Amino acid sequence: MGKTWLRDYIIKRLFYAVIIAWGILTVTFILVRIGPTSPADKYLTNLAARGEEPAQVIAAIEARYGLDKPIHEQYINYIGNLMRGDWGWSFSTSMPVIELIKTHWIYSFQLILLSTILAALAGILIGIYSAVRQYSKTDYIATFFSFIGISIPNFWLGVMLILLFAVQLGLFKTYYDTGIPLLSLANLKQLILPVITLSTGMMAGYTRYTRSAMLDNLRKEFVRTARAKGLPERVVIGKHVFRNAILPLVTIIMFDLGSIVFGGAYLTEIIFGIPGLGRISFNAIFADDYAVVVAVTLISAFLILLINLTTDIAYAYLDPRIRYD
Amino acid sequence: MEGAILKIRNLRTYFFTRRGIVKAVDGVSFDLVKGECLCLVGESGCGKTVTALSILGLIDTPPGRIVAGEIFYDGMDLAKCSAEQLRHVRGKEIAMIFQDAQSALNPVFTIGDQIVEQIKLHLKVSYREARDKVINLLKEVGIPSPEEVANYYPHQLSGGMKQRAMIAMSLSCDPQLLIADEPTTAVDVTIKAQIIDIFHQLKETRKMSLLFITHELGIVSEIGDRIVVMYAGRVAETAAVSELLNNPKHPYSTGLIKCLPDITQERERLESIPGTVPSLIDLPSGCLFHPRCDKAIAICRKKQPLPVSVNHGHTVFCHLY
Amino acid sequence: MTKKGIKHLAGKVGGIKNLLIILLATLWGLTLLADIFVVEKIFDPLGYLYIALGIVALRYVVWPLYTGRRLVQYYWQRVKRNRLAVLGLAFILFLILLAVFGPLFTPDPTAANFEQKNLPPVGFTTEESIYNPQTGQFITKTISGTWEHPLGTDNKGRDLLAMIISGAGVSLQVGLLATGIAVALGTLIGVVSAYLGGKVDNILMRFTDIMMTFPFFLLLVFIVFIFGPNLAFIVLVIGLTGWTGTARLIRSETLSLRTREFILAAKALGASDGRIILAHLVPNVVSLIVVIATLSIPGVIMAEAALSFIGLGDPAVTSWGMVLRAGQQSLDTTWWVAVAPGIMLFFTVLAFNFVGDGLRDAFDPRSSV
Repeated sequence: MGKTWLRDYIIKRLFYAVIIAWGILTVTFILVRIGPTSPADKYLTNLAARGEEPAQVIAAIEARYGLDKPIHEQYINYIGNLMRGDWGWSFSTSMPVIELIKTHWIYSFQLILLSTILAALAGILIGIYSAVRQYSKTDYIATFFSFIGISIPNFWLGVMLILLFAVQLGLFKTYYDTGIPLLSLANLKQLILPVITLSTGMMAGYTRYTRSAMLDNLRKEFVRTARAKGLPERVVIGKHVFRNAILPLVTIIMFDLGSIVFGGAYLTEIIFGIPGLGRISFNAIFADDYAVVVAVTLISAFLILLINLTTDIAYAYLDPRIRYD
Repeated sequence: MEGAILKIRNLRTYFFTRRGIVKAVDGVSFDLVKGECLCLVGESGCGKTVTALSILGLIDTPPGRIVAGEIFYDGMDLAKCSAEQLRHVRGKEIAMIFQDAQSALNPVFTIGDQIVEQIKLHLKVSYREARDKVINLLKEVGIPSPEEVANYYPHQLSGGMKQRAMIAMSLSCDPQLLIADEPTTAVDVTIKAQIIDIFHQLKETRKMSLLFITHELGIVSEIGDRIVVMYAGRVAETAAVSELLNNPKHPYSTGLIKCLPDITQERERLESIPGTVPSLIDLPSGCLFHPRCDKAIAICRKKQPLPVSVNHGHTVFCHLY
Repeated sequence: MTKKGIKHLAGKVGGIKNLLIILLATLWGLTLLADIFVVEKIFDPLGYLYIALGIVALRYVVWPLYTGRRLVQYYWQRVKRNRLAVLGLAFILFLILLAVFGPLFTPDPTAANFEQKNLPPVGFTTEESIYNPQTGQFITKTISGTWEHPLGTDNKGRDLLAMIISGAGVSLQVGLLATGIAVALGTLIGVVSAYLGGKVDNILMRFTDIMMTFPFFLLLVFIVFIFGPNLAFIVLVIGLTGWTGTARLIRSETLSLRTREFILAAKALGASDGRIILAHLVPNVVSLIVVIATLSIPGVIMAEAALSFIGLGDPAVTSWGMVLRAGQQSLDTTWWVAVAPGIMLFFTVLAFNFVGDGLRDAFDPRSSV
């Protein structure tokens, strides 16, 4: 029974992740290049709009982007640049894309972190309770709300929350104030509505999945054995059942991350005016600032790749059955 | 009965479902004497497992419930104990092992951890001591390299090993009574023999009382002292094993014994009991076996048979006697 | 072509049905090429998508439904017992009727009518402060809703009911088409991958992994940003990016089916590979496909709505997302414009979720419906 299984597994997964990373970069590159207008054109249109002299700029761009070189050289340059940390220049904000990201990532991070923690804690706890007390009133209510939660369009929820609490009741401001220091209660307050918006859909999903995973495991034989051993019910549920239920849960949560969380965060930032990566990417779209849009898309994909990798490794650790392949 | 450590009186466990009331156990009584191996025998669905689960209060309560009867153990009526009291009995005084060791063991914890958990729950020992005990237990049931195996996960063991590990776990707190629910059914023949050997060994070294549930009469003759034959939730006959096998009184018992293939005799076809086990929701009237019984008389359809003692320690529930 | 010749060709592609479909598909392809390179517009781009989907649906949906009438009836009986699913179906039917017949009774959703702007829905009243330059005072005037505009109007005087009806049509079309593309593509990749196995499986799955790593909505936004917002294109893109989940599910189901005992039994009885695939594997996957498709529709509709909401939708089309956007921008004056589309979206998503769950339960042989 190999003692190095963990190390071998990690290496295998890392190698695989690198391939996926390469794939992400390539797909992005292809998409940009087959677009009807090239980044240079868009850059030019913008410069012309700002009244700069096209002729010299064209030459500068061509040199910078290497657009006069054949496509495979462009590709290599592209990858090389990205790896060296040169993520392009954002002319709509007049700074290197890297800088832009450095100053804005924290806003996305706090939103996603808080929402995920809230959704996970509430969702899992309610899901467990719902499963253990199946068919009780609480179960029905929880199931009902989780159905609603996954059906509500989260961007509409955000708008409705603003309508109700900010416009009609005046409890919150309708936009996010970056002047407030991050680690303050005031900041927490203005994050309440956005976090509720983002976490509702997630929480509903987690409740459903946890409940179903718990129910599946509650029927299993080992639960009877655990009770026959004389274990108190809370240990049977909390330790024996939950530890098994966590396995499919982890997979599902990881799968959802890409589709729901990042997309949701993007929309939430736009609605509430939170200057996170989603919002600056959005602004960049309407300013035709290619580099920023590409950068944010890539970052989000890489983050998901990282999360997938970590989850795969965690899963191998949690489920002894797949270790000894 | 003299020296009985377990006395079941008129146990009735019903399941209340949408389609009706399932009378899984309907008036079962028997005694289990200290140090003996009592075999609970019958076809699938006759209520033997439900009886065993009722003893420890492991019936899933939304649909099921012990509606009547007493289960006397050590002066207490287990049927009327609270969940808290039952927990002290489970795993410590009375232990139970189940049919399919693969699904009965938790797949995400090691064998050692699962046994240590039980030990530490009931006995006040340190982790180290518990671990040592685990190693000894695994040795006792014949598992080679117990120190290594204790760190294995269930899926890493073979069927026979898993079964032994489960037996070891059940013995971990030195219970007075071990309930074994068809421990040999899901394993192949060679392992069957090994498991039976372990039980023999346990009877001798630990002087344990054993409630052995099975549908195989061969196993009963190997290991049983006394036998209780059940049919459709009720007892048909109770006797010492040799007495029953040589002198069965109830037509059902006779039928069961006749069904056993016999290599010494030349026969064209295997014998079987005509008909099928009745649905536990829609039971026949009177004696439950009468629709399939070739010796049925008029009263069998009307009245439930009362226990008749045909011999010392041999009781039968049949109108013929 | 001689009868024999046709039969021979049909044999090669797996049957007369397949031959007909290939013929239709080639016709479609030629028309498309002609449209692009030779003639003026023959069909609307959306029209092409419809025809393509129609051809696929004909072969794989309509024909099987017709030949398997009894089976369809059986499953329908099971679905009917689920009250929520029936409610959902009723709502979807209502939406379809609304989308098809609604425009006949309502004004043009894009017609701006500044005289009638900011009207609340029937039964509500709002107050408007009007500044009278002569007196230098603000007079509050109460405006009530009228039946002329039952849901009110937005700040440009566009009738909200008309906009909602138009949005219903858009959402249904996008839902149908985009899901059709995504599920068809996903099924194709999944089945091919599972059936061929080996290197093909490897490559296809790696590719699926890569595409799956992109967050769906951001990828969508990215592509629409590059290529421009056009409804037919958006539908295509949603379809081309949303197939990954389906591919995985279909592949794993096909793989597990391949090793199941009933397949081995069929083989032992002498069935050929083709027959095994068509008569045993496919029917078992079809129910999964139906469930996946129904449960994907809400996601697709939301994706399009989200795109329109942030301004990346087709500006020529009035979709619910666009209405929501208009509502958000004038939240303090015309809040009803923001509420209505969200409610519709919510119920639409709920309806499809109920139906999808109902279908899933109906198809699961282990669940007693």
